[in-house]
Amino acid sequence: MCCAPGLGLLFALAVMAGAARADTAALVASQCMACHGDGGNSVVPMFPRLAGQQAQYVAKQLRDFLTGKRKNEVMAPSLAQFKDADVDGLAAYYAAQKRTPITPGNDKLLAAGKALYDDGNTQSGVPACVGCHQPEGLGNDRYPGLAGQHPGYAATQLQQFKSGARNNDRAKVMRAVAARMSDDEIAAVVEFLASLP
Amino acid sequence: MIIRRAISAACLLVWAVSASAQTPPPKAAGGDAADGAYVWNAMQGEKLVALGARGDAARGEITFEICQGCHRTHALGRPDGSYPRLAGQHITVLIKQMTDVRAGRRRNDVMLPFIDKHVASPQDIADIAAYLTKLPSPPNNGRGPGSDLARGQKIYEADCVSCHGQGGQGDAAQFYPRLNGQHYKYMLHEMIQIRNGMRGNSNPRMVEVVKTLNDADLEAAADYLSRLPTGQP
Repeated sequence: MCCAPGLGLLFALAVMAGAARADTAALVASQCMACHGDGGNSVVPMFPRLAGQQAQYVAKQLRDFLTGKRKNEVMAPSLAQFKDADVDGLAAYYAAQKRTPITPGNDKLLAAGKALYDDGNTQSGVPACVGCHQPEGLGNDRYPGLAGQHPGYAATQLQQFKSGARNNDRAKVMRAVAARMSDDEIAAVVEFLASLP
Repeated sequence: MIIRRAISAACLLVWAVSASAQTPPPKAAGGDAADGAYVWNAMQGEKLVALGARGDAARGEITFEICQGCHRTHALGRPDGSYPRLAGQHITVLIKQMTDVRAGRRRNDVMLPFIDKHVASPQDIADIAAYLTKLPSPPNNGRGPGSDLARGQKIYEADCVSCHGQGGQGDAAQFYPRLNGQHYKYMLHEMIQIRNGMRGNSNPRMVEVVKTLNDADLEAAADYLSRLPTGQP
């Protein structure tokens, strides 16, 4: 008898968890998939690929969109369809998806991109990306993964950090890094990122 | 007004002392010494907070991620001298330099954004220092040409050893850095910066010493230092 309330609570929690998953799936299908693709493997260069992205990063970006710290007109209609309570479920969903490889557009830039990623530029003070974003570009709890990202999207973000149009980076660190990057370096490093599985 | 004039006079005096300065050393930008003349290693502000904090090396390893894009994994720096080795450095020295850079006492525009107050708290700085000081400093640091080592040893033993120690181990209690294991080109660059009044947070005693040395002297001394056994004497 003493166990009955406990079992009831467990059952209720299981139902809630199931409901949360169902909500997440419905949100993904109705609000995210059209741009970010099936399982977050977007096929359109302007929309970021989210499959396998670090959950902490996705959650931070979604909350920054909701609070207006990060602005994006294309995201605006979808932002009206979910709330803070949905964020962790969406982040967990995308983190759990398997990333499919993409084909980089320009193989000639890969070597220069890898050199910048691994070693930075000591002349201009660009730190090596690998320091934070990790070998293989997978990121971690604190820094986003970059592997397999669309070159077009990654380049746009770097240019926006460089200009300050995107300003939701922690302590202005990415703005400081991007400000030191040349357009050629941006073009090269994003090709290398795209080539990472 | 009188106070302000006195401060200006004191600043001028300090500048005059660092004789060969072509550009004046930076004023502290909103830092601990923002209110007046430069006092080497004044014990105040967040440096004291960080020195008094209990540094956690495990946390420091994580916080150091943002630094290793330049200082490299295991904080070995780069043999081309663009970034110093930090592995095995004294906690006191690391805390002093980090807080000096972000207070503007040490001029370093390359590093400044990455040690900003929004990036690292005084506790974070203590954690990073606790992590770095335990890292090994292997004998693979950048070396000089090896062409004038006798001269380098003579200069080092005459002018440098009283502070930096026979083995280049520095002195944690005095905030004097460990130099063994450091990259030749980095040491040479910093010596020239100090001599030319460009580093900003130099010990006036050291400025006096390096002012008497020419470039060839400094190259020889840095070369000798770069060949001292690394690690913990």
